[in-house]
Amino acid sequence: MVNNFAEKVINSRERLKDDKVKGMPDRWQTEAEGGCGVVGFACSVPVRGRHIFEPSIQMHNRGNGKGGGIAAVGFNPKHFGISQETLDDCYLIQIALLDTESRAEVEKDCILPFMDVAHSSMIPTIDDYQEIGLEVKPPDVCQYFVRVKEDVLSRFIKENNLTGMDLRKAEDEFIYQNTFKLNKQFYASLGEKRAFVLSHGRNMIILKVVGYAEQAVQYYQMEDFKAHVWIAHQRYPTRGRLWHPGGAHPFIGLNEALVHNGDFANYYSVSEYLYQRNIQPLFLTDTEVSVLVFDLLNRTYGYPLEYIIEALAPTTELDFDQLPAEKQQIYRHIQEIHVHGSPDGPWLFIIARNDAENKRFQLIGITDTAMLRPQVFALQEGEIKIGIVGSEKQAIDAILNSLSKEDKRFHLIADKYWNARGGSHTDGGAFIFTLDENGGEQKGFVCADKFGRVIKTNENQTHPDLSISIQPPQQAQSIKERFAVCSAMELFEYLKNNLKEWDYNTFRWVCHEMVNIANENDGNKANIIEIFTLLNDKRYDTGTKKRSGILEIIKLTLHEVFEATKDLSHSDGENGKYKLIDFKRRNTLRAPRDNEQVLIINAHDFTPEGENCDSHLLVDAYNSGWKRFICYGYLGQRFCGCGLGLNTQGVRIDVYDSSGDYLASGIDGLEIFVHGNAQDQLGQIMKSGKLVIYGDAGQTFMYGAKGGSVYILGNVAGRPMINAVGKPRVVINGTCLDFLAESFMAGDPLNGGGFVILNGIEFDETQGKFVEQPTPYPGSNLFSLASGGAIYARDPHKKLVKAQLNGGEFASVTHDDWQVMLPYLQENERLFGISIEELLVVDGVCKEPEEVYRKITTSKKKVIVEVDEED
Amino acid sequence: MSNNNLESVPGVAPAPSRYRNQISKYIIYRNDRCINCSKCVEVCKAGVHQQIGASSFSRPQEHKCIGVSCNACVDQCPEKALTVIINPMIEMLGDYRWTSDLILSTWYQAETGKLPPDGLEYCIGNSGGGFDRLRIKFPENPPIELKSDEISTSIPLNRRNDNAHRVEIGLPVYGGGMSYGSVGLSTILGKARAAKAWNTFTCTGEGGYHATLYPYDDHVITQVATGLFGVREDTIKRVKIVEFKYAQGAKPGLGGHLLGDKNTPDVAAMREAVAGTALFSPFPFHSVYSVEDHKKHVDWIKAMNPKALVSVKVSTPTDVDMVAIGSYYAEAHIIHIDGSYGGTGAAPNIAKKNIAMPIEYAIPKVHNFLKAEGVRDKITLIASGGIRTAHDVVKAIALGADGVVIGTAEMVALECVRCANCESGRGCPRGIATTDRELTHQFDPEWSGQRLINLLSSWHDQFVDILKKLGMKSVQELVGRHDCLEYEGVAIHGK
Repeated sequence: MVNNFAEKVINSRERLKDDKVKGMPDRWQTEAEGGCGVVGFACSVPVRGRHIFEPSIQMHNRGNGKGGGIAAVGFNPKHFGISQETLDDCYLIQIALLDTESRAEVEKDCILPFMDVAHSSMIPTIDDYQEIGLEVKPPDVCQYFVRVKEDVLSRFIKENNLTGMDLRKAEDEFIYQNTFKLNKQFYASLGEKRAFVLSHGRNMIILKVVGYAEQAVQYYQMEDFKAHVWIAHQRYPTRGRLWHPGGAHPFIGLNEALVHNGDFANYYSVSEYLYQRNIQPLFLTDTEVSVLVFDLLNRTYGYPLEYIIEALAPTTELDFDQLPAEKQQIYRHIQEIHVHGSPDGPWLFIIARNDAENKRFQLIGITDTAMLRPQVFALQEGEIKIGIVGSEKQAIDAILNSLSKEDKRFHLIADKYWNARGGSHTDGGAFIFTLDENGGEQKGFVCADKFGRVIKTNENQTHPDLSISIQPPQQAQSIKERFAVCSAMELFEYLKNNLKEWDYNTFRWVCHEMVNIANENDGNKANIIEIFTLLNDKRYDTGTKKRSGILEIIKLTLHEVFEATKDLSHSDGENGKYKLIDFKRRNTLRAPRDNEQVLIINAHDFTPEGENCDSHLLVDAYNSGWKRFICYGYLGQRFCGCGLGLNTQGVRIDVYDSSGDYLASGIDGLEIFVHGNAQDQLGQIMKSGKLVIYGDAGQTFMYGAKGGSVYILGNVAGRPMINAVGKPRVVINGTCLDFLAESFMAGDPLNGGGFVILNGIEFDETQGKFVEQPTPYPGSNLFSLASGGAIYARDPHKKLVKAQLNGGEFASVTHDDWQVMLPYLQENERLFGISIEELLVVDGVCKEPEEVYRKITTSKKKVIVEVDEED
Repeated sequence: MSNNNLESVPGVAPAPSRYRNQISKYIIYRNDRCINCSKCVEVCKAGVHQQIGASSFSRPQEHKCIGVSCNACVDQCPEKALTVIINPMIEMLGDYRWTSDLILSTWYQAETGKLPPDGLEYCIGNSGGGFDRLRIKFPENPPIELKSDEISTSIPLNRRNDNAHRVEIGLPVYGGGMSYGSVGLSTILGKARAAKAWNTFTCTGEGGYHATLYPYDDHVITQVATGLFGVREDTIKRVKIVEFKYAQGAKPGLGGHLLGDKNTPDVAAMREAVAGTALFSPFPFHSVYSVEDHKKHVDWIKAMNPKALVSVKVSTPTDVDMVAIGSYYAEAHIIHIDGSYGGTGAAPNIAKKNIAMPIEYAIPKVHNFLKAEGVRDKITLIASGGIRTAHDVVKAIALGADGVVIGTAEMVALECVRCANCESGRGCPRGIATTDRELTHQFDPEWSGQRLINLLSSWHDQFVDILKKLGMKSVQELVGRHDCLEYEGVAIHGK
């Protein structure tokens, strides 16, 4: 029983504390740092370190190159020239030698007297750190595979009154305390820094540099080093001209490495909480204390993961009320005891962990209760299974892109992308990807939420194998005949209806043929783009093929069509409707000539922001006369559609691939169609125009918006429509994480004001039909403090309750309300194929609008003062 | 006139009080023994007494009277017909920071563009600390002899030397953000007129960009605050400076707050909100929870207006130096620290008086930190929050700021009596902090503009005079010269 030892273990740490400082010194001074870029993945087969590269590079704008790090868990023993047993059983102590002379002293004082060293080596590095752009030489790192000497361990157990404790647990504690002593001796946070322990867990390593995360991989030559779990972190420290890698993430517990995006307001309180339990942070960052809290709850108190997550991100408000009674009781105790150790503020933790006791590796993503940091989870379950968590979707896509280049068993598009709902009763705001031994060639792979509910994709569907060459299918001739006679819409319907039965080869062959047809003339090209865009956007039955697999093929097809377009150095009269521009040829930009109408922008090589961002090129193109744009190849480039100015009616932008933050923010009149998921901060201060998203949207969507018509096929993350005013009209077919329309001030919807239609539906993965979500709105805060506008929620089962509203009121949908909603639902039907008729069907029965929709409106009581009406 | 990048010197013109009975420090009684001999007119150097026709006098211009220390008219009146006393109302006017003398001397400068007559304190208040105990330490003789027209009061705002506008302002002073709603249009336009005349800036605050401000685009700062009220792409594109208001010193941790009563139909229309409801801005930007979010926020502004200078306005918590360096790395041009003394009437008292660091502590803290980090010359440090007088400006600069932002001083120039009624609704009795249709018609932008031009003119003359005594050719030489200050006679060491 672990808990009997909790107190003893804590007592044994008493003497480690710095007893020179008593009372309330400024010992918890923290180093300033902001948010960061974080990403991690767990994979059923080990993959090379180079695959953390692309996402790391794409997260440069979330760091400033002053601190980056990676962690890896689950290796091949051959890499170290050791046995599997040694790898599994020995602690792998990695020591960063800031002062290269310190090695002998470190060994003499902290390693050799206490440990049996099975294997030791220096991590090889490249010769010239400046070659890869580093400004500060990273430390040499020595590695020791060790076990604690038996006599040392038994003395430790005896001295600390730990007799009877599981020997491995006692050994863990010894390693932990030894590291602490080593760090204190060789790494005084405010004085001389000579050496520190990077990591000491089993089958795991951490490397960090003053630079970007991928430079750690490069410098320590980890490109070809294989591991099952990888995490990376780009840091954004803002203080000091001289940095050292000690402050960079990840930080260690024992067998876990934690990276963190955000910061918390109660660093002092959490530090005190730890100090009362004889734990003293040494590195002055909130990330270190986070992992120390995790380690305390895990190893000292022996909590199961669910309770650890609860202690870090407590379940609150309505979510708490919706927990089963017995869980409420346990959670209440956890919250009471650990509230001071619960990080308060915006954070996202990603933890890579070797759960050695249970012989499994884990990747854990935990988001804070208020969901203040961006976070995306993704899952791909094909021949190989991989789970990914990151601060941005494009980092996830970058990993998949990088992996699929090397191994065709990986695919460009994940089967599932989703956001966690922090501190919720639904998923607990945390997901765990677990890899264990299942006897097979690959590790067993399971994704589950905080409560252990498994998340998986349809097992009966497969991905395409794109390495196989395409063969003409049997029905080739009959399909070809269709091409000749059908209109674009007919052809789309034909493809859509047949996709269910076709195999991947047939579909790939169709795509291949289509590309050839598209290249014949502009008319064909327009049709093919339209058909494939529809195939990309709509939901339909894909039979035994994964939708992500179909999307991957569509994406590659569209890219082929776009890339075959001539650039602006050509003027080809009537037949030149489309023109292509990319980063290399950006200087060829000129006004449209002759019949030129559509500028295709390949955003791939543009920078995510700044002068070389594609958004600037788009503004220049608009100013020189272009009005229609197709933008593709995005890797998270931001600000698409920003900067065009007033009255941009008639401009249309079609966006493909991983578009970035702030898209459509500030637009006035133009239309943007996002053919896929969209990112954070969309449509801020949007004035007018149209935004259509064939997928999900991220955080703080339409913050401070003034108007515009917006249609979203999927879900929206936290804080949509906050402080929106004027007359925005928004249809959200999915739901939101929380805080929808807080402080909404959009007048009277029946009198020209704004509103949100919230349908609360989702598409079933296989058949492409929509179904109701468990609740139209799971959050505890809906329309809080709003003084204008309304929400029309599709809630036929009356699942929304008064407790979710803070100041709002339920009302019936009147005839006038329905007349106001109708044009938007009609457009929604046209765009997404979500028919009004079907929306009004509940449990197979067709109902009246007022039976299906509920209006959430401002409370009549709220008017504070009477004001003169406009003269 | 000195070298301050002005095409022409802003014209000082009299802008007398709007009120028949202006509040003055002294009251003069003339009893019926007066024989109309005009002796008083002859002996008064301040021009208090004016004769109209042969047998009558205008009402004494009491606000010009320098008081009992002069007493010439009283002493020399052959009939002892005159009495000068201290106005008992003075005790009720002002407070320890804004003493009645400071209010009256600001009024005087706003009316005349000149320093007030003797006997009115125009440099410091009576708070017993801070700027009120700091003194400028003048050398016995200036190290170099300078003529007034050799002295520059202008400062550059873009020190990054990037592609953004190279803005230089004629005075180390610009106007703080006050929204349409918190103040009326005559106030806003008056500030804009003065900003244009002195080649400096005014700021929209968080209430939108009124169309009547368009002629002043090059002198307006668009504020992007947490409620995003009235912020649109065109309001960001049309200006040279965009200011992010993360917090204000009067109420750190609280967002903007427009009282429901001030949210008149006109104001609501500008903000596209619902009239009559109190408008709260959230405390943080919901899209900015970290420095990298902030960088993205800045990048967004630059995507819309690539040449905009970016100013970051923050309050002064104990780690304000960290915030400043973070702003620098996120490519801000201006870090604007707002200390605790300033503040709108609408800020809750508990906040106004208890949170944030006084600005005189925050300035050197930030200045020294930026210097130690080696980036001080790459960013413009602007201070605000309790800058009342020309001497306050000079002290703030000597402590380490490049320039200052003023707010309350402008309101006082427009005859604010600091009654603090701005917090209780539409009823600013002086028609400044109100959008009430009747109250706002008490004055027009010509008058308010002229008052502010006059005040800045007087401040400018004081800057030149002080720099001359210090032997400095430019106000930029004064930045961080702690050795030019003393604390009630105690020298401050270091530079």
